[in-house]
Amino acid sequence: MFFHNFRYSLKILTRNRTLLFWTFIFPILLGTFFYLAFSDIEKNETLDVINIAIIPNDSYKNNKIYNEAFKKLSDKKNKDRLFNIKYIDETRAKKLLNKKKITGYLNFEDEDIKITVLTSGINETILRYVIDEVKSEETIINTLVKNEAMNDIKKGNYNIDYNKIYMNANKLLNSDDIKIKDISNNNLSYTMIEYYTLIAMAALYGSIISMFITNYYLANMNSIGKRVSISKISKFKLLFSGLLSSYIIQVFGLLLLFLYTIFVLKVDYGTNFNLVMLLSLVSVLAGLSLGVAVSVLIKKNDNAKTGILIGITMLGCFLSGMMGITMKYIVDKNIPILNLINPASMITDGFYALYYYNTLDRYYFDIISLVLFSAIMLVISIKSLRRQKYDSI
Amino acid sequence: MENVIEVKNLTKEYKNLKAIDNLSFNVYEGEILGLLGPNGSGKSTTINCILSLLNYQSGNIKIFSKKMEPNSYDIKKDIGVIFQDVAVFNELTVYENIDYFCGLYIKDKILRKEYVFDAIKLVGLEDFVKFYPKQLSGGLLRRLNIACGIAHKPRLIFLDEPTVAVDPQSRNNILDGIKQLRDNGATIIYTTHYMEEVELLCDRIIILDKGKIIAEGSSDELKKNATTVEKITVELTSITKEIIDKIETLKNIDDVYINDNIVVITYKKDANNLEKLIDLLKDNNVSYNSIFSERPTLNDVFLELTGKDLRD
Repeated sequence: MFFHNFRYSLKILTRNRTLLFWTFIFPILLGTFFYLAFSDIEKNETLDVINIAIIPNDSYKNNKIYNEAFKKLSDKKNKDRLFNIKYIDETRAKKLLNKKKITGYLNFEDEDIKITVLTSGINETILRYVIDEVKSEETIINTLVKNEAMNDIKKGNYNIDYNKIYMNANKLLNSDDIKIKDISNNNLSYTMIEYYTLIAMAALYGSIISMFITNYYLANMNSIGKRVSISKISKFKLLFSGLLSSYIIQVFGLLLLFLYTIFVLKVDYGTNFNLVMLLSLVSVLAGLSLGVAVSVLIKKNDNAKTGILIGITMLGCFLSGMMGITMKYIVDKNIPILNLINPASMITDGFYALYYYNTLDRYYFDIISLVLFSAIMLVISIKSLRRQKYDSI
Repeated sequence: MENVIEVKNLTKEYKNLKAIDNLSFNVYEGEILGLLGPNGSGKSTTINCILSLLNYQSGNIKIFSKKMEPNSYDIKKDIGVIFQDVAVFNELTVYENIDYFCGLYIKDKILRKEYVFDAIKLVGLEDFVKFYPKQLSGGLLRRLNIACGIAHKPRLIFLDEPTVAVDPQSRNNILDGIKQLRDNGATIIYTTHYMEEVELLCDRIIILDKGKIIAEGSSDELKKNATTVEKITVELTSITKEIIDKIETLKNIDDVYINDNIVVITYKKDANNLEKLIDLLKDNNVSYNSIFSERPTLNDVFLELTGKDLRD
């Protein structure tokens, strides 16, 4: 009976034109829109070099990694250079910032880097991305240096040549074994976030599919729900067979979107496609679980539930940077807790982590968060389904 | 006869409204029980409580001598339900719809195919098996709705107003199908506010009003309890106060209703009333277009018991 319901759920879902539009067509249309809207903007933007200032204090001067990084990024011989850097004191930097002559300035304070900007725009966001990226490299180098030093000490060699270790670490970083992103102007694509949120949105739109099919198992929703509730098949079999059929359709829809964005829109999802797929599969599960929860917990009609799901998805995607990457930073800095309950943010961040970060810690954190989100949604839904009798229908 | 359903002291309240008020009744094997009542009388609520879809404040419900619970799958396998609203998938054809619902009970594919075609034949949808619900007329859609509810050959069938907004041809087809189901041994609970259907189909009738049983018995038993025994309707060419006064002096008259030129006279006793009325009209040179006598209907019984018309 599980497969009987699974087979018919597939038929019902694949023959519903409205659902097919939201699952297969709408994300492709939106992706095309992004491509048309952002590709030209980005091409033009890449020509601009961002004016920044750095306070050349001792902390900065002693930080070889940042010295090296900013030297490369502002090298006038490099046609893809990202920054035009002025090395000035803080008072002057403030003045230039107020006159909008520079995007922002960096002040190195021991372990921390203070970024001062006036507004939240694309240039400011790029500046932050670069700092994040260099910070990430710094962590890796420091770990490598520390490990090398520890090895020397263990071997009884107390005359540690830090310069040599640093050079070795730097060499290691530039090898193929450790992935470091090229953060030159040419390669830094802030519109990638737009495509990541598009994938998040497409995955979360799966919630409409699972909501649609779950409504058929609820006696308080429609007559089919009543008839099915009186049958001898258990609600769990119904729910999981329906969920499986929704999952297959949604994964298929997402694959289509991937193929379209990779081959037609030339979107780069990074080199590790297996991890991209893993994140996508988990994202679909999160979307479907959200749909089941809304279907079971909210006592409204189909249209209202669809509206709620579209609202949740769009708001989630907006907060994770769909309408502009700056929003992602605003949320990251001011209300980070939102990212822990926003599945769109978890998905977007997962892709972002895969593309921009050298380690997979953040990626796996996002995967685990999505699995937890799905589990919570499903457990609450199943608990609620157990009541099975209604006060009114 | 064996009890198929036992309902004892069932009470269901919605906030300030008592939808079912201490209701008790039995349904016996092989009978068609009619639940008759106006909208809001508690018919559908009673069925939903019996089927364990609705919570209720108090009472006991047993089906096939077992307590009915949401997880009573051993009871549910023998139940078929046809609700007021059509419960079919627009994305599936007639055959697929029936096969889907039948498949929730019958695993064996060969047996299921046989059952599905039996159901299609029963409701007369042989020519429409590949049609989608949107391509069917209202009557055919109702027939499909019934086929989906009974394809698995249940022992107990609930039919909740299955003929609402159905054309006469489909109605006859549906009623014939229900009789056939009973002849095949099914026990049927039939709710409607069409008294003609109840009179035609039901072995026993329960009249509900405001969640209470106000009368119970066969159609004949209920009519026997009515104080009105005869109703004569006469269409006069013209009405005068004088002739109405004279009609009211006739013996055994309970009441006289006037609607335009039509006069309806109800009698408490049956004693050549029609003959006496015709004589009176003739003696007073009053001409009429038509005159006929009839026995009280269930609607009259209902009107007497509740003061309301059944279709209000």
